[in-house]
Amino acid sequence: MANMTLTDAKTLAYINMYAVLGTLENLCELDPQARALLKNKKPLSIGMIVKGGPSATLTFKNGYCRMSDGVDKCDILLPFGSCEKFNGMIDGTVTPIPCKGFTHIGFLLKSFIPLTDLLSKYMRPDPKDLEDERFFEISTSLMFYTITVALSQIGNNDEIGKFSADHIVDGDIKVAISGGPAATIRVCNHRMITIKKNPENYRAIMEFTSIKLARDLFDGNVNAVACIGQGSIIMGGMISMVDNVNRILDRVALYLA
Amino acid sequence: MASKHYNYDKSHAWFDRACKVIPSGLYGHQGPAEGCWIPPTSWPFFTEKAQGSYFWDVDGNKFIDYMCAYGPNVLGYNDPDVDAAAMEQAKLENCVTTPSTKIVEFAELMVDTVASADWAFFMKNGNDTTQGAIMCARAHTHRKKIIFVNGFYHGVSMWTQKVDYPGVIPEDVANNLYVDWNDYEALEKLVNENEGEIAAFISTPYMHGNFVDNVLPADGYWQKVRKLCTEKGIVLIVDDVRAGFRLDVAGSDHYYGFEADMICFCKALANGWNVSCLCGKEFLKSAMSGLSYTGSYWMSAVPFAAGIACINKMKALDTPKMFREKGLMLTDGLKAAAANNGFHMVVSGEPSLFYLRLADDDSLLIHQDWVQEMVHRGIYLTSHHNHFINASLTEEDIKRTIEVAEDAFHAIRPKYQ
Repeated sequence: MANMTLTDAKTLAYINMYAVLGTLENLCELDPQARALLKNKKPLSIGMIVKGGPSATLTFKNGYCRMSDGVDKCDILLPFGSCEKFNGMIDGTVTPIPCKGFTHIGFLLKSFIPLTDLLSKYMRPDPKDLEDERFFEISTSLMFYTITVALSQIGNNDEIGKFSADHIVDGDIKVAISGGPAATIRVCNHRMITIKKNPENYRAIMEFTSIKLARDLFDGNVNAVACIGQGSIIMGGMISMVDNVNRILDRVALYLA
Repeated sequence: MASKHYNYDKSHAWFDRACKVIPSGLYGHQGPAEGCWIPPTSWPFFTEKAQGSYFWDVDGNKFIDYMCAYGPNVLGYNDPDVDAAAMEQAKLENCVTTPSTKIVEFAELMVDTVASADWAFFMKNGNDTTQGAIMCARAHTHRKKIIFVNGFYHGVSMWTQKVDYPGVIPEDVANNLYVDWNDYEALEKLVNENEGEIAAFISTPYMHGNFVDNVLPADGYWQKVRKLCTEKGIVLIVDDVRAGFRLDVAGSDHYYGFEADMICFCKALANGWNVSCLCGKEFLKSAMSGLSYTGSYWMSAVPFAAGIACINKMKALDTPKMFREKGLMLTDGLKAAAANNGFHMVVSGEPSLFYLRLADDDSLLIHQDWVQEMVHRGIYLTSHHNHFINASLTEEDIKRTIEVAEDAFHAIRPKYQ
């Protein structure tokens, strides 16, 4: 069993694919600057295949971005020989080399990389930028989506995360920021998937009463247990579901640090 | 009679103060998060006084208390006989360099009272007893592994926690094996797969876990477990911290017709005075003698005096029979109140430690709503923990509780029907 303080490359690759790159979807929805980077561009798709890890396709169309699982057809194909190599691309130590789509290198350099740079600006913000209310809202919303998607990836892949997921009963858990973003954590046979919208019905709820509180929680400035007592996090329904999601949440910070 | 809806302004002001100087304000099972106060605004955070089956919070609200301090209140808060014995001892001595002879008198009473006991070893909390039992089992068998029943709670030592709990490392729980409650075949298989490696099987006398309906032992389950443990040299530990003395003053193993090798007591042992006790069989006495296991207050005499008075009074009153009768009267009334209002109340576990669940949705949100309406009207329940009956609970208290239950169902009905 993995040491509690260690992360594993495979889980990190799944997080980087779905929780980090997947948040490009939300970046394009929330920030006009992101859409501007894609303006007047032909629809284009980037496939990423990681040996021993995840594979997914990012499709850019009309200023928006969508991620789909797996790689079927794509304009640019980026293969990675290992999870470590893929993780290296995310942390900037590995330069990906496409095996298909050389004529679209311009998109990678002029649109995709600036887009990921913009995402980094929101995900690892300069404290001064957070003083701007709109920046703060976008940054915290993007963190929310990254964290909620990472939750499921950890529950499905990380050894200790899987232990927590094994104790979650089937059903939907609503995770939300009041008046802000919401997500559904769907559990079926102890496998988790995050859907980035409110559930129609839910068996358990964890709701942060303000975006400021959510930020403090994500930044590790406050503890969820203390917030529940103070009423700044609302929990209800199948508490064992919330309890185990919170245990996985503890591990999100390890991977996203 | 309509019930008053309580206000908790002072409680909440105290909690705000607490949050500044105490991690999470109130921690553990008596705090809002682990205690599942949903929402926290419906519960009192602090009490001012208690008597019999009641407590009053700092806002002056009176509650009929079905949590009994999570078990210790077995005869009624401030029981005059137990408290008189404690006060009399306090005039003489309490925590002194050399212990009082009360420890011997209390140990003799435990050995005479608990059917499976040949010796008694006193400590302070339930966790001390389970920890001592595991250490003793390992010392005796020279084996590492322990079998637990899924959904267990045996305290807060690191070996009792789960690998994903904050502050726990995989090595802390590396020798823990898990089996489902009442699944004898799975237990036998696990034992065979780990032949000669298992020090102990630890379990509560029945499955009284939180968040789920409680489950009694299947016919013959404990007898088969007892036989298996004896054959394989596995120490059989019964964690009777929660249920102890509420089913049978001779121990819950006696109630279910078998004998544990060690049995752990705490909550109902001294009616709230701070003492716990591990009892065991003669063949484990030597191993227990050899443990390095002690604490600053473990031999304080006042709780021993209280414990002696408490056990004698429980025997005199035949409290287990009383608890069963009162528990049945209450839970039958609650089920009827639910049915009268179109809800379905599931009652599980033993009547003296009844567990409640409204089965009208799969999220428990309706159940949580009803529980908070009860608390707001002066009936102290918790959402997902078993409850406790104490000897001072009157028929009037039970009738009042059922009246309030009707009110609470009326209050939530428009939202769900």
